[in-house]
Amino acid sequence: MTQARQNEPGSGLAIDLSNVEKVYAGRIRALRGIDMRVHSGEVFGLLGPNGAGKSTLVKILLTVIRPTRATGTVLGRPIGHKPTLSRVGYLPEHHRFPDYLTGAQVVDFYGAMSGTPRPQRRRRTAELLALVDMSPWANKRVRSYSKGMRQRIGIAQALVNDPDLIVLDEPTDGVDPVGRRDIRGILQRLRDQGKTVFLNSHLLSELEMICDRVAILVQGLVAQQGTLDELTHGRQYFEFDVAGADGVRPADLFRRALPGLLGDANGSRGTLATGEVVELAGDTLRAAVADPAKVQGIIDALRAQGVTIRTIRLVRPSLEDLFMQAVTDPTTGETLATGAANSPPRRQAARAGGVK
Amino acid sequence: MTTAAIQSLALLTDAYRELNSKKLFWVTLLLSGMAVAAFAAFGINQKGITFLWFQFDTPVLTTDRIAPEKFYKFAFANVGIPIWLTWAATILALVSTASIFPEFIAGGAIELTLSKPISRLRLFFTKYLTGLLFVALQVFAFSLACFIVIGVRGSSWEPRLFLAVPIVLVFFSYLYCTCVLLGLRTRSTIASLLLTMLVWIGLFGINAADELFLLQRETATVNAERAVKRVEAQEKAANTALSRLREAGQPTPAEQGPLDAARFADELEAANPFLRQSRADATDSARTADRWRSWSGWMFIAKSILPKTGETTALLDRWLLSDEDKRLFGREDEEAEDIERTARFGDPDPQVRRRFEAAVRARSPMWVLGTSLGFEAVILAIAAWIFCRRDF
Repeated sequence: MTQARQNEPGSGLAIDLSNVEKVYAGRIRALRGIDMRVHSGEVFGLLGPNGAGKSTLVKILLTVIRPTRATGTVLGRPIGHKPTLSRVGYLPEHHRFPDYLTGAQVVDFYGAMSGTPRPQRRRRTAELLALVDMSPWANKRVRSYSKGMRQRIGIAQALVNDPDLIVLDEPTDGVDPVGRRDIRGILQRLRDQGKTVFLNSHLLSELEMICDRVAILVQGLVAQQGTLDELTHGRQYFEFDVAGADGVRPADLFRRALPGLLGDANGSRGTLATGEVVELAGDTLRAAVADPAKVQGIIDALRAQGVTIRTIRLVRPSLEDLFMQAVTDPTTGETLATGAANSPPRRQAARAGGVK
Repeated sequence: MTTAAIQSLALLTDAYRELNSKKLFWVTLLLSGMAVAAFAAFGINQKGITFLWFQFDTPVLTTDRIAPEKFYKFAFANVGIPIWLTWAATILALVSTASIFPEFIAGGAIELTLSKPISRLRLFFTKYLTGLLFVALQVFAFSLACFIVIGVRGSSWEPRLFLAVPIVLVFFSYLYCTCVLLGLRTRSTIASLLLTMLVWIGLFGINAADELFLLQRETATVNAERAVKRVEAQEKAANTALSRLREAGQPTPAEQGPLDAARFADELEAANPFLRQSRADATDSARTADRWRSWSGWMFIAKSILPKTGETTALLDRWLLSDEDKRLFGREDEEAEDIERTARFGDPDPQVRRRFEAAVRARSPMWVLGTSLGFEAVILAIAAWIFCRRDF
């Protein structure tokens, strides 16, 4: 099934995947050659539209699905190495715990299935139920829980074996805002403890808040991968907002202050000496640079003309922007169809590649 | 404790909790309790049968003929096991356990378990064995209760009663493995349950057909043998008649003129007018016997590869009751047996019945259990293969 490269433990990679493919029923290519690296001790976010292959990839990592082809390691062992899973915690999407069990029994049962000895399980169960704020309901049957409570129990069971790698599929699904904040806190604490967290979520704002690195999957391929800084590199810009004066619009103030840059009275676009583009966007000026040193000249010019600068801020594209860009066909501008199905691979997505 | 031991214990505990949560488990146990209570309410004395405080005078069933412990043992082996445990309780057990695998592999439930450090094969078989717990507990409770009833009411503590546990368990496992395979294929509790019932009915039909074919084979064989003997007797009588004619100096039919070939094959037929018909009957009987032997042989082959539900539970009857016990209850009484046979097959011939019984007894417990467990092994192998290969 797999021909893993022996990525030794301690090499710094919790997950190292190369060319992971999955074809269903001989024709539906859910994954078309995934290359992905997840570093130890980081929170890694996996995102993508519905049917992009996220859950398939997660299930391959956890041996729930057999890959058509896969090379790689999980915690330094080949994909599919069962004993390694005792060091992995998992919360599936749409999980369904046996409803005849209580919350504490669920945590204990999955701890036992991970091979955790009973004394350790008992201690961890009590600790984790307290951590997810479920101690008062620990002895109530799961069938009486709300969705959010089940999710909390799910997170507790994913941590009961004190795993090195925690894979969470939509962990905040159905959880109220307070619960989401609590879960973020738990994930940050896990990262502080040196654990690796692999998050699969649709909530981009949440991923943005907590993830060190992300990968965007589109139609079975990794469209982009890296830290947010890496992914937004070259897409950041400084935005200047100035106050109008004596009935003069801010755009005209910019033109007056930067005639050499924006050209004539109707100009709205120019190039810095270092080559970056500067352009007017309505009444604001955008300079496509991330280095503050490169915009000092603009500030000096504006101040020399007595223009009142209200704000200067470095604007970075949001994860949503990146996501939307990844799922938009660059030629047609339309959102790519969901699912991998049996459509041909999107080569440009593979080429976009991102930072590995 | 090793990881494997921790996991197995967890799965067993989970199976117990699941059973505990199923109302049908307790309903079945309650019904079993009622069946045992009814069993205990029956008694036997010098006048006949008693039920609670009612007396039913039955001259053939008194303590003068049958000791109380044998009466209870017989009731256990002939009513408790074949009627209660192998029909009523089995149906309830199937209804209760049919959902185990479809629920186990349902979306959202299976992913977590498969993501644990346990091989799919071990997971499958552990889950399968925990499914058998239902019946094991039920049969053990029933047998224990009967053991106590026979001990107290019949003053006989018969540990062989507990043979019911493995026998009924094996019997149930034939159906349960089928149910598991169908559950894995269809992912539906109702579909797997109904199809298993259909398989069970099919097995019952094949079993009945096998008995019928076997009986017909023996009947035809006996008829053929009797026809041959009849022909031999008639030939002998014809020879005697011809000899007497010769001794008396009278001409035999052949000496009187050429025989009519259309009416007589030889001089004997001319001497005995019934011989020609008897010979024709013997030829027909031999042909019929050959035909039934062939059909019965094919049925035997078909049955050999299928589980033998009825014969498996009948093993308890073989092992629990001695020949002496059976004689006490008239099981060896030819007249009573003939009446039974007449009702079932319309054949009162004691010779046929004896041969039929001998043919059935010739099928050893090893054959009954071995071939049935072979079927189970094949079904489980297919189910395990599906479980291990499937993407969930």
